[in-house]
Amino acid sequence: MNMERNQSLWGDAWQRLKKNRIAMACLSLVVLFTVLAVYGEVLYRYHDIKDTTPAYQNTDLDMAFKAPSSKHWMGTDGLGRDVMARLVQGVSIAYKVGIITSLIAIPIGVFFGCIAGYFGGKVDDFVVWLYSTFASMPGLLFILAIAMVVGKGLLGIYLGIGLTTWVGICRLMRGEVIKHKGQTYVLAAQALGLSSGRIIFRHILPNVMHVIIVTFTLRFPAAVGTEVFLSFLGIGVQDQPSWGLMINSARMRLWQGIWWEMTFVTLAVFLLVLAFNLLGDALRDALDPRLND
Amino acid sequence: MRFYVPDHKLFISGLLAVLGSFLLSGCGGAEKDPAIGNGETVSYSQTSRIRGLDPASAGEVSSSLAIARIYEGLLEYDYLARPYKVVPLLAESMPEVSADGLTYTFKIRKGIYFQDDPCFLDGKGRELVAEDFAYSIKRVADVKNVSSGFWAYNRRIKGINIFHEASMKPEPSDYDMDVEGLHVVDSHTLEIVLTEPYPQLLYVLAMHYAFAVPREAVEFYGNKFVNHPVGTGPYKLVEWRRNSRIEFVRNPKWAETGRIETYPETGTLEQKAAGLLKDAGKPIPFIDRVVQYVVDDTSTSWMMFLSGQLGSSIISPDNWDVVVTPDKSLNESLEQRGIELISSPYTAVYYMGFNWDDAMVGESDDSGQDLRNRKLRQALSCAYEFDLMNQFMNNRYYPIDGPIPTPLAGCLEKPSPYRYNLDKARKLLAEAGYPEGIDSKTGRRLELSVEMGSADTNTRQSMELMADMFQKIGVVLKANYNTWPAFIEKMNRRQGQLFRLAWVADYPDAENFLQLFYSKNESPGPNHSNYRNAEIDRFYEQIRTMQDSPERTEIYEKMANIIVEDSPWIFMFQPMSFALKHSWVENYLPHDYPYGMGKYRRINSEVRQKWIESYGDVKLNMSGRN
Repeated sequence: MNMERNQSLWGDAWQRLKKNRIAMACLSLVVLFTVLAVYGEVLYRYHDIKDTTPAYQNTDLDMAFKAPSSKHWMGTDGLGRDVMARLVQGVSIAYKVGIITSLIAIPIGVFFGCIAGYFGGKVDDFVVWLYSTFASMPGLLFILAIAMVVGKGLLGIYLGIGLTTWVGICRLMRGEVIKHKGQTYVLAAQALGLSSGRIIFRHILPNVMHVIIVTFTLRFPAAVGTEVFLSFLGIGVQDQPSWGLMINSARMRLWQGIWWEMTFVTLAVFLLVLAFNLLGDALRDALDPRLND
Repeated sequence: MRFYVPDHKLFISGLLAVLGSFLLSGCGGAEKDPAIGNGETVSYSQTSRIRGLDPASAGEVSSSLAIARIYEGLLEYDYLARPYKVVPLLAESMPEVSADGLTYTFKIRKGIYFQDDPCFLDGKGRELVAEDFAYSIKRVADVKNVSSGFWAYNRRIKGINIFHEASMKPEPSDYDMDVEGLHVVDSHTLEIVLTEPYPQLLYVLAMHYAFAVPREAVEFYGNKFVNHPVGTGPYKLVEWRRNSRIEFVRNPKWAETGRIETYPETGTLEQKAAGLLKDAGKPIPFIDRVVQYVVDDTSTSWMMFLSGQLGSSIISPDNWDVVVTPDKSLNESLEQRGIELISSPYTAVYYMGFNWDDAMVGESDDSGQDLRNRKLRQALSCAYEFDLMNQFMNNRYYPIDGPIPTPLAGCLEKPSPYRYNLDKARKLLAEAGYPEGIDSKTGRRLELSVEMGSADTNTRQSMELMADMFQKIGVVLKANYNTWPAFIEKMNRRQGQLFRLAWVADYPDAENFLQLFYSKNESPGPNHSNYRNAEIDRFYEQIRTMQDSPERTEIYEKMANIIVEDSPWIFMFQPMSFALKHSWVENYLPHDYPYGMGKYRRINSEVRQKWIESYGDVKLNMSGRN
């Protein structure tokens, strides 16, 4: 017991997470997806550097719409390409979108949330006004507008999703920082004459890190979902196998009983989103100090 | 009326044209419609929504088809002749053309009467006179009619622009104003005077923008005229319920005044074998009554077709796989029941164009580089595999070997030297300076980008297929998918390296396609490749004002050969139009300009009756898997 008490917040959380079977299953799923994403990215980079066309882009109309078999585990699509190979490439696109949009949204949200919460007053008013303004704009329209400005493709998706989704984390951070501002360690740091920047980012931020982690795990699948439907609508990924594009092309033939492409892609999206969401929930529980006993 | 159509849209419009060209038919026996007398031959068919029945203002296919049942023009397209040609209809004969090609003199047939209508004195239709044509053409030029057809006369007919501008004033347009180029010599002679030779005028005069409209009707009905057509044609309107049902009946004025039109007597041997000549010389129209329904839902119209309520049907994309087998023949169980699949190439060219402004694929000041760029274009043409593209599109395409589509005079008979041939493509590519596709300057594979005007699944997949074809010779193709307005904007600004476009014939003359290579038509004109070739320009200026003749066809072929050699486009395909018809619709021949062709069709009522009675006895295999 004593040993555990002495562990850090993270060690503590890990211990609690380990006891949650569903969370562990989700974690292994996430690890599996991550491995696939890395594999897909490496494959893409490899072909890019070697200047060759990867196998998942090769068409063969004689093999079009073949049902799953030992050769093609998930069947082939309308151009005779292996669905599984494309699905794996899709994971890497989904991951890129999830990670990069988080890298855009989270720093913005954290920065504004922290300064608003810490300084209060005019700064707070400004930030609240800013995020209220952003929140009042319909997200999809905003993303479409950005995609129109920077052009279709991944960059548009990154910016579109990244620049619209920082509001949630900004609010959370603001609330957390306000809560921490009155605590004794912050008052002590202020009494020592430390600069505001240092207090915010060196003292408060590590104490609210768990909020960021949880937000990330919840933000990630949402971003993937957004990418899928933007690509489905044709304004997302252009020439790489994205899940949205795959679903879009699969839907035309679904009524004829060509179910595999749609099924496997949908299943992949479903599993990825579910795994991240459950993991995020479990992490929140594990990291919440109030549940500590 | 020129179209740049994104592929899927064009496909639909192609089908529409075929649908339109059906005057589908059936017999009235089984219908519980009291208005239809016994023994009448009735045609039941589908139509798209009709906006109005005024020849001057109508624009879309469905309205034009309805108008062409009621109204007529000086000329019409021959039903059977291919290549398409125009023949006299309300004119006694083809016009006399002056030596300078500027004056067309039409003798108008005597004894042609408008249908009876309250707008005339004592309700009796009067005789058609030359003034009616002059009046009708002025109506198209009248700004207040918002006609979609003024382009056909704009700056072509002498003085028409003066009338056009005068009509912009707020007061009612003065139709008594003289237009120099529309000269009524006597009651049955019309002289059209042009500003420059315009051989395509004859095709324009076969369009509904030149159909004879009686001034009395326009003035009597005012803005209700769109609902009250008064024409000389084979049918008259009985009832029109907007967006629901339209009904025409044989124009009784024809019998009353003894007007007799006959089915064409000359056709090819194949047409004879197909039974298209068995009515040769017989008086038309064969069908007494035409009833058309607006059915928006494709599955409803499909069921109506199967049960025999409609004589023909388009094949909606959802039904394609069920109806047509991969080798382009009809589903067996439909075929056994006597349903016929009608397909014909559509007079259009789909192409991938190279931008002449681009340093890599276009023109270069350095003659050596210029030659290498040409070899690159030829190599890419050789890498394009038509069969694969056709397989992808369920065999709905027709190969094309040059800038002029079949069946236009001037289309090249022999296969292009730059048809699919991988070895040749690799060789040409190496000669162009890209051995194995490697650009020696960068050491990487040559990368080209193509601009697309839509981003739907079909377009996207066809480009992925195209990229794979180019990849076989080591060239990387990247597609940029734009919205249609953004694409047109890029085209007009001469941006982009490659692009994909289509051109649909406005009239059956290769001139319509060759103008796309005339340097003065460069973007924002229709020559979006910005192709420049002094020789082509010279030839084009020569043929622009030439009458149809073997010499002109010879020049067409010469131009086509030069263009194939220069390869400013990869000639991709000509789309096919597909439709289904029941066996009781007879004398059916697909026509690219189907307006007014309904009068040649015939219905076999007995066959239709049998179908309706036996429908449901045999289950049709509609699973799509044979």
